[in-house]
Amino acid sequence: MAQATAFSHEGPPSARRLVSAMLVALVVAALVLVGAVMPAEYGVDPLGTGKAMGLLALSSVPESTETTPEASAGSEGTPVQSGPVALYSVPYRTDSVELIIGPYEFVEYKYRLEKGASMLYAWAATAPLVHDMHGEPDGAAKDYSESFDKQTRGRADGAFVAPFSGIHGWFWENPAGEPVTVTLASSGFYTTAVEIRSDRTRTPHTLRSVSPSTRQGESR
Amino acid sequence: MIRRNLILMTLGTLLIAPPMLVAHEEFRVVGTVTTRQATQIVVKATDGGTVAIAVNKQTRVTRDKKSVDLAELKPGVTVVVDALGDSEDDLLAVDVQIVPPIQPRK
Repeated sequence: MAQATAFSHEGPPSARRLVSAMLVALVVAALVLVGAVMPAEYGVDPLGTGKAMGLLALSSVPESTETTPEASAGSEGTPVQSGPVALYSVPYRTDSVELIIGPYEFVEYKYRLEKGASMLYAWAATAPLVHDMHGEPDGAAKDYSESFDKQTRGRADGAFVAPFSGIHGWFWENPAGEPVTVTLASSGFYTTAVEIRSDRTRTPHTLRSVSPSTRQGESR
Repeated sequence: MIRRNLILMTLGTLLIAPPMLVAHEEFRVVGTVTTRQATQIVVKATDGGTVAIAVNKQTRVTRDKKSVDLAELKPGVTVVVDALGDSEDDLLAVDVQIVPPIQPRK
């Protein structure tokens, strides 16, 4: 009973105290967001706490079953320019794939390329598709991407030089009620490939290395 | 008492704020509406699975690019749902297009 009397004397907190409490809570929440959530979720680590606590590993999603020393080395795929020649420390690879896109569904197909790395490509679809060739820079926010060519197309033949290190490729959306087949062929200095479907399933694709037997005697 | 309120509010904000600020993935579900309730629709997807998707007042429903009422999502209509969530078990519909029926996959 005495305790109840004490509560009644204290009364409800003032608006000023409530606002102060909210501000303190927001500051703490912001610290947790920047110090723990962003490093773990996006690999963005402005305070260095993600590295210190080992949270950065949580944000890195393996994108391919193909693991090569070059891929894990990260920036080793960056070309070294020597006049008109660009030399690479990663193998020249080729890829060809046929993708069936169901009615109104979309698919993304992306390669990992380091800044300056190049590839040639050609794709054709059995019907026009909503198309966006784009890239996602390393360390960018989860939904961030840069579009390079965005329009409805039925085919494209091109050459691409990665403007930044990250994953680069195509978004194709089938705007109609019939399935569409896309055939893609490419070659270049990419290290991994991944297919991402409308339901967010990610399927790594194996890439082919060209003439690996000749590489031992190569000078770099 | 005030100290307890402060602790509770701080803990509450810590629990609620980060998940709200974390971006979700975009999902697309194509299929046929099987049931509709006030706060969710259930869609039988073209891949054979069944997905329950939450809807709210912000959910846009269109047919031929024109807005229609949520009540148009009747069982049997074919829809293309763009939704946000962490997985197919936790989706909130952002855009729902009512489209002509799709032939089932062979």
